[in-house]
Amino acid sequence: MAKVFKFKTELWIPVYTGIKVHTLKDFIETLRTIEIESIFYHVCINMFNYHNMPVYYPNSFSYWLYKNNFLILAEKISSIDPIELSDLEEIRKRIVLILEENYPGESGQRLIPFYFVKAEREIIDCGFVARNMEEFIKGIKESSINSLFYHLVSSKIQKKAPVNDYSAWLLSIGETTKANLISQLDIYNYTLYEIKDKIIRILEG
Amino acid sequence: MIGDYKPFVEEAVIREIEILAKRLKGIKVLHVNSTREGGGVAEILHRLVLLMNEVGVKTDWKVIKGDKKFFTFTKKLHNLLHMPGRFEIDSEEVVYYLKITYENFERIDTENYDVVIIHDPQPMGLIAKKVKGQKWIWRCHVDTSTPDPAAWKFIETFINAYDACIFHMPEFVYEKIKIPTFTIRPSIDPLHPKNVDLSPEEIKKIVSVFGVDPEKPIILQVSRFDRLKDPFGVMRAYRMVKKKYASQLVLLGGFAPDDPEGEEVFRELKEQAEGDKDIFLLNLPPDSHREVNAFQRAATVVVQKSLREGFGLVVSEAMWKGKPVVGSNVGGIKRQVVHGVTGYLVNTVEGAAWRIRQLLANAELRESMGNHAIERVRHRFLIIRHLRDYLLLISKLISSAPIL
Repeated sequence: MAKVFKFKTELWIPVYTGIKVHTLKDFIETLRTIEIESIFYHVCINMFNYHNMPVYYPNSFSYWLYKNNFLILAEKISSIDPIELSDLEEIRKRIVLILEENYPGESGQRLIPFYFVKAEREIIDCGFVARNMEEFIKGIKESSINSLFYHLVSSKIQKKAPVNDYSAWLLSIGETTKANLISQLDIYNYTLYEIKDKIIRILEG
Repeated sequence: MIGDYKPFVEEAVIREIEILAKRLKGIKVLHVNSTREGGGVAEILHRLVLLMNEVGVKTDWKVIKGDKKFFTFTKKLHNLLHMPGRFEIDSEEVVYYLKITYENFERIDTENYDVVIIHDPQPMGLIAKKVKGQKWIWRCHVDTSTPDPAAWKFIETFINAYDACIFHMPEFVYEKIKIPTFTIRPSIDPLHPKNVDLSPEEIKKIVSVFGVDPEKPIILQVSRFDRLKDPFGVMRAYRMVKKKYASQLVLLGGFAPDDPEGEEVFRELKEQAEGDKDIFLLNLPPDSHREVNAFQRAATVVVQKSLREGFGLVVSEAMWKGKPVVGSNVGGIKRQVVHGVTGYLVNTVEGAAWRIRQLLANAELRESMGNHAIERVRHRFLIIRHLRDYLLLISKLISSAPIL
């Protein structure tokens, strides 16, 4: 009998940590010590918030670097993929390492400030489950894009899981090809609405 | 009534709100502000309180009472929080504030609520009535990033007794706040007369009444006649644009009869516009919602060239109508306009003129940016999201786990 898939969703309210920085040096120093929830917020906020439109850079760190004219750093940090890496401490280390290795020095110019924010998150049961493929497809069709974000991105990161929730369930029922196709979706470069359509097409295909 | 919002958001979003609201069954919430009519806070509360009750969270709204002397002081306080140095606070005013606050203790029952949400500084002193087990939230709608020290000292008397505070955005938060600080964006209501759909015929009819040609490109700014909104800069930008593009400029706003500065700005604008039949200065009464709606829908490009701005929800109103917005890179405008995606952020008159020209030249660009603008507002700036944020915050606060 197939494992039951519980559909959940995720809501956020941003909480300002009270920390803002005006220099690249302070930015790097703060990244070393800031709560891990703030790293999570800033690497995922564009996916979570701008799920409906194109973005310049995939995370707010890159975007801030771009706005302050650190174009090389912006590009390098944009390559950090939280879905691929999963472990937030690992993500923090990589970001700091890239910044240290490519640190251009301080220009003395006061930068546009970076405000470190984190999210108060709430995971909610959607109130429906899937026991078979038909119910699974129906559940995804009825899910909000916040629910998609939870199952594709944040649940994987929080659990440090090798695959997202949808693919894990598909693997558990032997649907390896469909599981792999969903794992390969480029979540950053499509809106979550497009991703939802793609998943439904994969499942119905 | 929440069902009325189904055309605007996914059904799943409404369902999530209902699940969240169920957790708050039995909780009583009170909002307190300083006015029931006029201003953005009252406008949002009218609908928000109804919606909170509709989803099953018992919510009341009460208004603090004060006289002219009290509100003159709180207006001064507001200005000082926003921008330091123009006035001073004397102890007599502080004492009077406390006196009026004390008089409101009798009038406003706060004890019978689990969560009390105080909007802005006017009713802030009611915190003295807080009883054990209650959660009090201060919802600040003002940019306090660089407050006058005396004004902040006054706020500090009360703020740390609150359980949490809410600001529109981190940039508005004064760095010395010690309590948990949430950021919740304000919102627009798609069912408000300002934002409801209008037929093309009605739009044409309304703008024609004012002599504006609905068939000729319209550049629009909706704002009070106030120097901080830079209507003079908009006029200069329009003149640069007009060299290449036949177009009309509509500056739509208002000023109260007791606002001498507004009258002066209007008069100066009129002098500068003289001789150009394509410039329309429309001073409309504050309840001209359908007219504003029609002009926003008729506009080809909407401009918001403020020199300083709070949140500037008028930007979201235009975006919701599918308009690309050329906005200043200040305040909440930069949080609404995504540069190059839903419009452009500009820093100068020249920049504004160039971006307006780009948009006038390219109908496809306008359409694509307008579509992104609608989607951005749908997800980020509609009252449904605002309702969800409040429910989530309340749920977090009343749960036993500490917030931070």
